Amino acid sequence: MDTTLPHQFIELSLHSLKHAPDHVFQLNQQNVQQFNTLDFHDETLKLKLEPLPLIPSCKEKIVAAVDTSTIKIGETSTGIVIAVRGANVWKQNKRYRYVRFGPFIFHITEENKKQVCETLEGTYFNSLYEHSHQGAPSILQMPTRIASLLERWLQTMAAKTMNNGLILFDGSLTAGTAETPTHRLKEILDRAREGDNVVLAFSKMTNLRANGHRITDLLPDHKPPFLLETEGLRLKPPMVLLGEVYVAKLNKGNLAFRLDIDKEVPSKPRIEAVEKLLGNDLFAESYPETLRLAHILCTFTANEVLAVQHFVTRRFGLQIINRPDMHRLLFGAFGKGEGYS
Amino acid sequence: MKLYRKEGNILQILSYPGETVEKGDYLLVEDADAGRALIVQVIDVQFASIPGVLEELLRSLPDEGELIKGEDVDPLEIAPHISYIQDASLLICKIRATAENDSLNPSSSWLPSRSQSTIKKLPLPTLQKLAKIDGKLPIVIGGTKDSSLLTIDATSLDGRLNIITGKKETGKSHLSKLLMVNLVGYKATIVVFDLNGEYLSLGLTGDGKRNANYDKIHVLTPSQNFKLALKQLNLHVMLGILIHALHLPGTSAREFRRIWIALKERDNLTLHELGETIRNWNCNQHVRDALFSRYHALVNSGIFTDNIAEATSLEEYLLKTREHGGAIIMNLRNTSSIDRQIVVEYILGKLVESLSNSKLKAVFLFAEEAHLYLRETYWDDIVTRMRHFGIFTTFITNQPDTIRENIYRQADNIFLFNFTNEHDLDVVSRAARVDAETVRSIARDLPPHHCLALGRAVRDFPIVARVKALDVKTMGETRLFFTSSINQ
Repeated sequence: MDTTLPHQFIELSLHSLKHAPDHVFQLNQQNVQQFNTLDFHDETLKLKLEPLPLIPSCKEKIVAAVDTSTIKIGETSTGIVIAVRGANVWKQNKRYRYVRFGPFIFHITEENKKQVCETLEGTYFNSLYEHSHQGAPSILQMPTRIASLLERWLQTMAAKTMNNGLILFDGSLTAGTAETPTHRLKEILDRAREGDNVVLAFSKMTNLRANGHRITDLLPDHKPPFLLETEGLRLKPPMVLLGEVYVAKLNKGNLAFRLDIDKEVPSKPRIEAVEKLLGNDLFAESYPETLRLAHILCTFTANEVLAVQHFVTRRFGLQIINRPDMHRLLFGAFGKGEGYS
Repeated sequence: MKLYRKEGNILQILSYPGETVEKGDYLLVEDADAGRALIVQVIDVQFASIPGVLEELLRSLPDEGELIKGEDVDPLEIAPHISYIQDASLLICKIRATAENDSLNPSSSWLPSRSQSTIKKLPLPTLQKLAKIDGKLPIVIGGTKDSSLLTIDATSLDGRLNIITGKKETGKSHLSKLLMVNLVGYKATIVVFDLNGEYLSLGLTGDGKRNANYDKIHVLTPSQNFKLALKQLNLHVMLGILIHALHLPGTSAREFRRIWIALKERDNLTLHELGETIRNWNCNQHVRDALFSRYHALVNSGIFTDNIAEATSLEEYLLKTREHGGAIIMNLRNTSSIDRQIVVEYILGKLVESLSNSKLKAVFLFAEEAHLYLRETYWDDIVTRMRHFGIFTTFITNQPDTIRENIYRQADNIFLFNFTNEHDLDVVSRAARVDAETVRSIARDLPPHHCLALGRAVRDFPIVARVKALDVKTMGETRLFFTSSINQ
């Protein structure tokens, strides 16, 4: 696994913090929620209720998973301080291994957000920010934007370095959004395919509905593991779907997930890839352990948030103050502040 | 370190890695604006309740018996900060005093500023100086953790009730020897009830040579070099032996009184005459039998003699110690339970007599495992009546529950060695000069030969010290089976 991290990421991180304009830093424990805005109701979507039964294949394959996480650490008078971290986990010879990158800390302001995006995009993907999409993201979108950049880079690294393996992504294979330009995801999938890898993307949440019902709720009475195929899913341009969408119920339990598999892989190897995954990874509630570990390893705990706050106060002299909770202030006992949502 | 919270006289302080604070350490919480400082003692060190720690521990759970191996690319070096927060500890501290204008008072009624207070370790020499623990007659107990000496004043034992307790082989006898040697050095009179013959060589150095105290240590072994003629005893002491040690009933005791007075009037108070008189005394047969059985017990003890030349004068020994100090060691090893009680009854009676006649100023009494020879009524007697006469007792035991609760309540000094048993700790924590949390928390973790000094001697600032070595020949070692077999 290539773990060479572009220096630009670190430099940008440090640079943005050094230029925190005032030395007041307000605590904010609110997590930045990554809402999946890509899913939407499509009346043409149909779910084939005839399950595709799966037979686990124990032929040894490397299973790798990528995930990133971001959290808002606090606010300054001109912006926000965020932390980003990513993890690559892979299972080889029945053992899990990981590489974890970060945390990287950024002070994002209206002034530097464009520059941060441009520099990171240029460094990671040799592409100009302006070419990717129009309009700079808002400050609130920046955490997910930066996390997304790190995630795509980690995915690229996995695709480049692995051969004949299974690469698990968190989310879908929908492209054409500000965070996931089509050419970028396409490039990652191409790279993966060149190395005889298959990319499988698991969405923890989906809003895709068929006949008004969420597709992961429409499960036939069939013994798992199985897949359900979908057809007729159309996205509004410029969004494109680079994967074939399935509903995967991979072991006993209540949950099923939306599973996108690289569209360019022929139908049979797609199914075989899921069977290989079943034979090479552990599953809890139909979710692969490798991806679960990647998520666990990159998620910030409360202690880590405290540590990052400790770091920025010690290293950059930011003074921490507690911002009054407006909900509490105005509505008293009825004001359930951000922390209570 | 940062002040976290205060509940009653318990202060919780947040401590960060690198600030090495341990149980028993003293801290000074100084509020410069208030011009006062709290002196607190750490009685427990806990993990600080850090949010998210459980998640982090779960994250590093083993993968089928092995930790998940991996690499952390952490260019900003946040990991040390994470460990720093994760390893923060919470110090549970007991407020001992408030320092204000170089004087101490036991108040804990004020609250130092949480944001402005500075917290630093209070070195024990500074504390001892502040609390004026050392005095004109210093006794060095041993070394403290910060390499200073714990020195108490001999006067803090004067007129006091002391308890030395701890489980077996933790160093209780060693400390009592140390106190004895020092008290003898200050010309005190000491009487020791030595149950296991541990104090017999106080006058010899480790290699068996005579030490400076050799001439001041007087070892008396019942029926060997400790024998009594009936003439030496007064009726009160003899009745005490008969009633309390030999359980003579009241009616028989009345007849004995008459016999004794009759013999004394005839100046014929010998063991032989006593036997003859009982035989010929006009009284009920049951009373005669009762008196005879006690008479034979006295004879069989070997403690009593009609040969005045071989009789021991305890008074003489006591007077010897009056000028230059000294210790009378009553060797009760290999002495039967009844004989022990006879000896103790006699000694205590004689001490009270000598003290009340002002022949002696005061006596320091060291009693090992006193429950084995001290009768029920003496416990209260020792801490109340006898103390007023000038008998200042130090109880030494490894079974704290054998000492009555009221003794603990009135104890002035407690030297506590390691205990792990909850029940034992509960018993000791009933002492009035001790708080239960301190005893439970610190005593449990005391290494061998370390004692927690509590009470007047340390001005109510509990201090842990490693009892210093003493160049005295070791006695009272347990005889082992295997050691001798191997050596043969």
